[in-house]
Amino acid sequence: MPRPAPLSFALILAIAPTGAAAQEPAYTLVIKDHQFQPTEIEIPAGQKIALTVKNNDTTPEEFESTELRREKVVAGGEQIIVYIGPLKPGKYEFFGDFNPKTARGHIIAK
Amino acid sequence: MLGAAIIVFREVLEAALIVGIVLAASTGAPRRGFWISTGLAGGVVGAGVVALFAAEIAAAAAGIGQELLNAVILLLAVGMLGWHNIWMSRHGRELAATAREVGDAVISGARPLYVLAVVVGLAVLREGSETVLFLYGIAAGGGLSAGSLLAGGILGVAGGVAVGAALYLGLLRIPTRRLFTVTSWMVLLLAAGMASQAAGYLVQADLLPPLGDAIWDTSAVLTEDSVVGKALHTLIGYVSRPDGIQILFYLATLSAIWLLTRAVGGPVKPRSAAPLSRGAATPLIVILLLGGLGTGSAAHAQLKVRYPIVDYREVEIEHFSEITFDKPKSGLSNNQRYTNEYGFGPLPNWFVELGNEFRALNGENITYDATEIENYLQLTPTGKYWGDLALFAEYEQTAHKADAKSFIFGPLAQTEFGEIAGFGALHTLNLLFTRTVGNNSTEATQLNTAWQSRLLVNPLIEPGFEYYSQINQILNPGKPADQQHRIGPVLVGLANFAPYGKLKYEAGYLFGLTSATERGAVRWRLEYEIPF
Repeated sequence: MPRPAPLSFALILAIAPTGAAAQEPAYTLVIKDHQFQPTEIEIPAGQKIALTVKNNDTTPEEFESTELRREKVVAGGEQIIVYIGPLKPGKYEFFGDFNPKTARGHIIAK
Repeated sequence: MLGAAIIVFREVLEAALIVGIVLAASTGAPRRGFWISTGLAGGVVGAGVVALFAAEIAAAAAGIGQELLNAVILLLAVGMLGWHNIWMSRHGRELAATAREVGDAVISGARPLYVLAVVVGLAVLREGSETVLFLYGIAAGGGLSAGSLLAGGILGVAGGVAVGAALYLGLLRIPTRRLFTVTSWMVLLLAAGMASQAAGYLVQADLLPPLGDAIWDTSAVLTEDSVVGKALHTLIGYVSRPDGIQILFYLATLSAIWLLTRAVGGPVKPRSAAPLSRGAATPLIVILLLGGLGTGSAAHAQLKVRYPIVDYREVEIEHFSEITFDKPKSGLSNNQRYTNEYGFGPLPNWFVELGNEFRALNGENITYDATEIENYLQLTPTGKYWGDLALFAEYEQTAHKADAKSFIFGPLAQTEFGEIAGFGALHTLNLLFTRTVGNNSTEATQLNTAWQSRLLVNPLIEPGFEYYSQINQILNPGKPADQQHRIGPVLVGLANFAPYGKLKYEAGYLFGLTSATERGAVRWRLEYEIPF
């Protein structure tokens, strides 16, 4: 269904605080060619974080995670913030609900 | 194409199940076709609008517009569903009776169909907007030909509608006189599940605290990603890893709608736990949860404060006694009760106990009175928030056939607050609802309150006071003089024999405050805890 996405190295962003929210540590996730970059985000366990999801595609996507109980639509070219946690240590998968085959990643809480 | 079909199917499924239930619940109502199709059409238009303004909605309200919209939609639907059930509890039996006499075709009456139309519209709007966005995404991305996309979309919608239709037709096979009981139960569960979903969105928007992340985890058994999991998520609010607040919203909605339907509805069905025998649509678990909320005339409640902290990986043996004092021959004097309990904590947030209760009334011989199973579900990590919170649920099976069995259910809360003479104070509150089932059960809901405040002077001796009350029927509480209220001093302490365990004790005297209460009561408790 989704077209094969060419690997794009241009937009691999470092996991850096974005200053999006005042108190919570902030992380950024980018969607490009129906893929998440990075595909792994490491966060501290037991602490709430603010995750910014930027959609650099022109088509909408839904950031979703059953394990985190989160779902939020990101329109094409837009960005959203999702609050996550505090989490127990562990690995939490997330995916793009509109392109579940290619858009996959996980959060590791340590 | 198949990929698109599957995704569309999963989105449509939820709305289709809701429409199926609503259709069944409105069986026989005049002009129902008009209302439901109005709801459907409104939902489809709304879905398009929401999809069109997805970016604006997401950016609204400082970036939490989407969560707010979802939560508001869900809570609105909860209100509508609740209203439907309350209305049906008052008029449902007339409807069923009419149906029996005149045949299913004519059921008259001003049923609040607009309420159901709104529910249908909201469900379609919520799920439909995602479907629209998804299909737009594929179309714009040029990944699929228009024909393939259309075929996939149609296939997905058809699949979802087929499941909804199957549910509807299945429900119609239930005889009309029972149908409304079944649909009312389904609507109740639907509403509770939506409330818990709404709580999830509000947590995501950081407007509510989660009160505990993943209180339990059944994702190994069933995830919401699977079709069955998704269907159960819609139908009964199944969540494999719920936040504490989601459980609270779920239970609060269940009990609120339940109590309101009881309060508003006329004299309720014959005794003997009518809903229990109603088959598949009334899962036992719900009865267990609800059991505590409706109750028995003066089911006996122990004079005992329960604490919300679960002793994980501990085995407990507990002995508990109470003896009352009053004028001789008043029937209130020298009533003795003894309980032995055996429990253990298999999970960090779950403790379970088996209890045997004995009694000797008026100094007669001791007889076996009841067996009870008690569950403590700790909702907040110990000490993490201002207070600690747990849910308590008990089933009591009496040894005497003539006595009703009972469910006891409610929150346990504890907090450390304030100080006297440099010592901290610990406060514990229990609000327990009792409902009887089986032989000689009643429709009353009994409320037992227990309050304890004690000074943390030394682990060996912590002095304090306790207050207990019992209201036999909360919907008709009567004069204060008819209720039981008592207050008195208590001593609590603990001796630690690590690594061999801990010995805890409590001893208190309670003065009766009303004429319905014994003048005095002594209670004590001995508990031995062994870690494993």
